Parts: sequence; structure tokens; C-alpha cells
Amino acid sequence: MAAPTKGNTTNANPTPGANFYQFSHNQNTGNNRLLVVMFTMSNSRTYSGATYNGSAMTQLYQINRSGLSQRMAFFYMVDPPTGSNTLRVNFSGSQWNPISVHARSFTDSGGVGNSARTGGQTTPNTQNLTVSQDSLILATACSINAISTIQIPQGTNRTFTTHNTNRQVGTGAITADAGHSAGTISVRTTSTSGSVTNDRTEIFGLASSGGESDFFLIM
Amino acid sequence: MVIISKIELEAPDSLKYTDVGYTTDEAVKNEINEGFDATLGKFLGENRTKLNLGEVSVSTFFETTDFVNEARTEVETVDGLGLSKINNVNEL
Repeated sequence: MAAPTKGNTTNANPTPGANFYQFSHNQNTGNNRLLVVMFTMSNSRTYSGATYNGSAMTQLYQINRSGLSQRMAFFYMVDPPTGSNTLRVNFSGSQWNPISVHARSFTDSGGVGNSARTGGQTTPNTQNLTVSQDSLILATACSINAISTIQIPQGTNRTFTTHNTNRQVGTGAITADAGHSAGTISVRTTSTSGSVTNDRTEIFGLASSGGESDFFLIM
Repeated sequence: MVIISKIELEAPDSLKYTDVGYTTDEAVKNEINEGFDATLGKFLGENRTKLNLGEVSVSTFFETTDFVNEARTEVETVDGLGLSKINNVNEL
């Protein structure tokens, strides 16, 4: 029926120097709100949870990229409180390496859908994700070398934020506003050389959330 | 726009980030981050492994420095944060 409406983003690349890091993120007002946040950091620590305005966020994944010595995670919250609130991520111990943070708000979203993660493969790393009508895809990539492109779908470069976590991270790449048609979408990540990861997650539009189809009665 | 954070020591051995302003001026952002990179950033980079192992304390760095600023949090709005726009690093 409609693609999600993209809202505010927050991108940060701090060295926490503590067993947590927190920052303010402004969730847009509107119906069917969704907040997602992606992290990348050294795998010397694990993520022990994330909160927004003090309430726990749901962890979609946390994956150890041992070849890159990095740990990547994705948390989300359905119908988060609006306005500027504190988003906090906790670690298993003090993190003295830089972390990559990308938070994005949505409205008019049916939540988080399919997600797939592919470890480092020789660039280009091209992978599929099956999505519902009007969904968006949010993607991130990590490499020893600089991230060159994130294409959603393959052949269409999307803007992304670059961070340095002692590895190179490209984060926050997302489908164009109109969303995808239902089907299998090819997502490509590239780095200047070597191998690169490819993590991709579907953000539902409103028609997609419950698996219900639109029903039209023609008289 | 970019949030400017004040980084100081929070006992016993951890960092504390406090948002102190924001800027839309690339030159201000770069000046702040160059200052960070030359001081605390340099210390962290040189001692990362030992800090992780607990063999070095970040309090060592703050024996001679009260705080350091950094500007590496990019946002689309500062509504609700109560932050002032910084046009010159001397305003911090």
C-alpha cells in the first residue's frame, strides 16, 4: 500500500571508553513508528542490550565477524516514544575501540522483515533478499579496505555513512523512497579491494506487516 | 549538522560524553576533531590494547587535561536537545 516514511538519522563514530555508549536520537512523530539502530565494533566485547528512553530494544542479530575482528548488531523498537530520547547500548566490558552507530527512525512502517547476513567475500559481494511489496532494504558493509559502494538494488548506488572502527564500515544505505516491488532484490557491496561483508534487512511498509493481502470487492 | 561532545574522565576509569553544542560549519568541526585526534585520540590509539587489558588507565591522560571535545555525531535535527549553535571553537 505504501512504503515506510524515512525519518531522522543519527550517525556516530565515538570511542566509548566505558561499558556503554549513549546518545540522543529524535524519533519522528506519526503512526506506525519504527526505530532501528546498527552497530559495528571490535569483537573484544559483545553487545549486552540496547535501550531507547529506558525501554529495551529488540535484538534482531548480533554477529561475530572473526575474520575482521568485528562484531555487528541490529536492534529495533516498534512504536518508540517520539521526540529526543536517549539511545543506549551496553557492552560486556569497557570498549576502547571506536564504534560505528547508525540509528534511523521511520513512520508508516509495519516493522522489521527479512534479514540476511553474509560474511566477507571478495568484492563485489552480491546477495539477495526477498521482500514484500513497498518494503525498503537497509544495508551495511564492513571491510579492511574502504567501502566503495552499497547498491540497493544492484546497479543503483545508495548513499551511506563511512566510519572507522579500526576496520572500514559503510552503514545506513537504504532503498529509494518509493520502496521495492515484492520479490527478490539483489544487494551489492564493494570495497576498494579484498573482501567485504553484506548485511541487509527489510523494513516493511504498511501493507506488509501482518502478511495480509489487500482485498478489493468489485460490485 | 554535527553534535559537539565534551569528553571527560568519569571515575574510576571510564569516559563521560556530554553534548555541549552543535555546528553546521565544517571548519569548526574539523578544528575540534583535529584537536581530539592530536590529544585523546592519539592516547587511545597508542594504548588501545593495554586499555582493553586494564594495563593502562585513561586517567593518566586526564592528569594534565580536564576535557577534550569531539564532533563526530551527525544528526538531522537538534530539536529538543537544548543545544546552542557553535560558530567558533572559542565559544566552547
